[in-house]
Amino acid sequence: MNTEAALSAALDGTVIIESGDERGEFAGVLLASFGAEVIKLEGRQGSYSRRLGPFASSISATSTSLSQPDPEQSLCFWRYNLGKKSVSLEVDHPGARDVLGRLGQRADVIIDSGEAADVDRRLRLYREMQASNPRLIVCTITPFGLDGPYRDFTMTDLTQLAMGGVMASCGYDPRSDGIYDTPPIAPGMWQAYHIACEYAVIAITAALNYRELRELTGEGDCGDCIDVSIHEAVSTCTEVALPSYIYNEKVVQRQTGRHAGVGRTPPWLRRTKDGRYVKAFLFWDGRDVRVITEMLNEAGIEHDLESGAYRELAERSPSEAHAHFSALIDTLVASMTAEEVFHRAQAKGLLWASVRFPEENIDDPHFQARGTFQSIRQPGLGRDLSYPVSVATDGRQRMTAFRRGVPHLGEHTQEVLRQAGFNDAEISALAVQGAI
Amino acid sequence: MEKTAQSESAKLAKPAKSASRRPLEGVRVIDLTKIVAGPNATRMLATMGAEVIRVEWHDQRALDLLRGVQPKAPGEKADSLNRSGLFNNINPGKYGITLNMSLPQGRELFKRLIAKASVLCENYSPGQMDRWELGYDTLRKINPGLIYLQISGMGKSGTYNEYLSVGPTAQALSGLTHMSGLPEPMPPAGWGYSYLNHSTGYYGAMHVMMALLSRRRTGRGCYIDLSQTEVGLMVSGTATLEAQLTGKPTERYGNRMHSADWAPHGAYPCRGSDEWITIAVQTDEQWQAFVAEIGSPDWARDARFRTAAGRKANEDNLDRLITEFTKSEDRYDLMHRLQKRSVPAGVVQKSVDRYLRDPQLKERGAFVPLPHSEIGTWPIEDFPAKFQNMPVEVGGLPGRAAPCMGEDNDAVYRDVLGLTPEEIAQLREDWII
Repeated sequence: MNTEAALSAALDGTVIIESGDERGEFAGVLLASFGAEVIKLEGRQGSYSRRLGPFASSISATSTSLSQPDPEQSLCFWRYNLGKKSVSLEVDHPGARDVLGRLGQRADVIIDSGEAADVDRRLRLYREMQASNPRLIVCTITPFGLDGPYRDFTMTDLTQLAMGGVMASCGYDPRSDGIYDTPPIAPGMWQAYHIACEYAVIAITAALNYRELRELTGEGDCGDCIDVSIHEAVSTCTEVALPSYIYNEKVVQRQTGRHAGVGRTPPWLRRTKDGRYVKAFLFWDGRDVRVITEMLNEAGIEHDLESGAYRELAERSPSEAHAHFSALIDTLVASMTAEEVFHRAQAKGLLWASVRFPEENIDDPHFQARGTFQSIRQPGLGRDLSYPVSVATDGRQRMTAFRRGVPHLGEHTQEVLRQAGFNDAEISALAVQGAI
Repeated sequence: MEKTAQSESAKLAKPAKSASRRPLEGVRVIDLTKIVAGPNATRMLATMGAEVIRVEWHDQRALDLLRGVQPKAPGEKADSLNRSGLFNNINPGKYGITLNMSLPQGRELFKRLIAKASVLCENYSPGQMDRWELGYDTLRKINPGLIYLQISGMGKSGTYNEYLSVGPTAQALSGLTHMSGLPEPMPPAGWGYSYLNHSTGYYGAMHVMMALLSRRRTGRGCYIDLSQTEVGLMVSGTATLEAQLTGKPTERYGNRMHSADWAPHGAYPCRGSDEWITIAVQTDEQWQAFVAEIGSPDWARDARFRTAAGRKANEDNLDRLITEFTKSEDRYDLMHRLQKRSVPAGVVQKSVDRYLRDPQLKERGAFVPLPHSEIGTWPIEDFPAKFQNMPVEVGGLPGRAAPCMGEDNDAVYRDVLGLTPEEIAQLREDWII
């Protein structure tokens, strides 16, 4: 597996234990991409995300049935557990206590996620582990944090995106009478968990820096307990929505394919010749008019933007001029494919892009040159899949990568337990007890 | 300690708000970023205790447009560059200086700052730093330990390295716009704000802190060419994997869960104007609890809805019937009733709701009042985690909200570069700072 990447060894030697559910899995993936050894603790039936589709075993070009739960074939599990080791361990089993205690001796970080009551119960054990390993950093990721009136609410990604304010800014324009007849939209899968996990990784990385700083200055070991609230994380991620209210008591209104605003703004999405969309973002200044005029001329589309009549309209009625200008852009965009619009507009210095499907970027020469995707062998599938693994380069190669693929359930149980000092007889006994 | 020139450099004189060390103590960040993506990265670093120095200037190339956008703090001086609420929320905990990089003398001062820094963050247009002869290859000669974070829409290497981008551009190209919204024939709804500005800031901070860890071991700095579009791909979920297996384009599913038999799973209208509640039933137990809460109407006991598969297969009907129920309900009252029965439900909260009506955000202290030198004290969104040991403060080292334009010129040029008051006055006179 090609793992050449400038920061993929940043966490070399760092051991991270990951417990809990799907809410915290993305944090482990990100840390693994920086070189950490991430040991995922799964119950004997496997993580909950192994039971979430879509399932590779039921996907084909002619079938769209995605609901056959094969725990080794879940794309959800694959995406959010790439690069980890899997240890089968029932963390609430009495026999697991000794395993966790010994694993904790060599661990740098524990990540746990789930409902607050469950995480809080396990947190007592983690604090005991910190007593014998004071360097240990514990990071919990729960819907609302470990205290507060909503602490024990039952939540999902959807309800978190609602409560955290993302959905209120995403959706479609209202009808002409101002009434919304479409719902607010949760824009994509697991985004609440992405945001919370990104914050968790920032917090963990800061804690690792803090620990090193104290150790270098001889101030002793310093672990920490970090309590990440998904709700607070999502709520910080709504751009101008909160400041608009805090400073001006204005509430932003959602609009189709563009920023929510306190007032209506012109559309950005336009349909292309091949039935796709482009995002045609404009500043509505003189430069935009000049560039669009050039593009209309090059496309051989008749227009009056250079006429005195248009200039007179722009002075007399800017809104009518905007509407006319916008209609000409619609005509221009409709004369080309989305990709043609994207490249021609960019060549003119416009901030436009085609509205791509995410997978269309896999074979794009730009992202291939940057090493954005890493080809990873899928056991049982007989082929590689390309995963997005890196968001940066060092000017020559990607910054982050994965050293291992997706683990089978319990694939590393024996290996990890032996490293923790368990002998074969003890491992067999744990199995008989039902702990592993 | 830090293996850089910075560790020996002078520190800005400041009151020590926290008695204990901060995670990024001794890390000086020169911040040439604008708008949200770059400033959000340096916001995270400032919160963790780095000394972040924002470098700005008055011409259009260097001025952060965010200083001029709404919302503005009410009061006089409407055209002041120090009143934007969004700028204030994105830039707390930083120092602010002005520096005219268009002049050779300004660029020389900048190099002196770089010599005493750990990190440079910038998100200028493609090629601008090279045109000033301030690219990484130049700056690493001045400071071999420098970590240089360069944020752009698509990345500075690759075939699109000259392309221009803002948050919505990157969202479109990465697929995030396409994936958000109701199924065809509806158009994409996309994101109602620049989500990738926020996320790119998170990844920027993450990469810089990883580079700091790496530098302690290797003694080497690095160049980080961060692409906003690639951040979008990183958070595109299972879409790219699924498409590789099916050979079919990624589809939109509205608020429904396409990869599990979770139904109902959506946003439902409640009493009032544009008031909504989300409900996400994942198990039969939750469904039964939901049915009990709404009074066990005949339709809810229909055999079609008894199993998860049945509810999923009849989701259109289910949503229509639930809407008939929810539309006369108070959204918060219904949420609390459902939550009492452990049914996942959450109000679609608008900004006013989160700010005034969310007891959780209030109790956890999600908004921190921080002083600003021109507009007074305003609430700033805090880092969304609590720490047992580490001092983590969104007000950073200066213990305040965003800096006014050039607010810290005297302190920075005196304490960091060792300039005399006379020299600083001359720089002002010459329109260099």
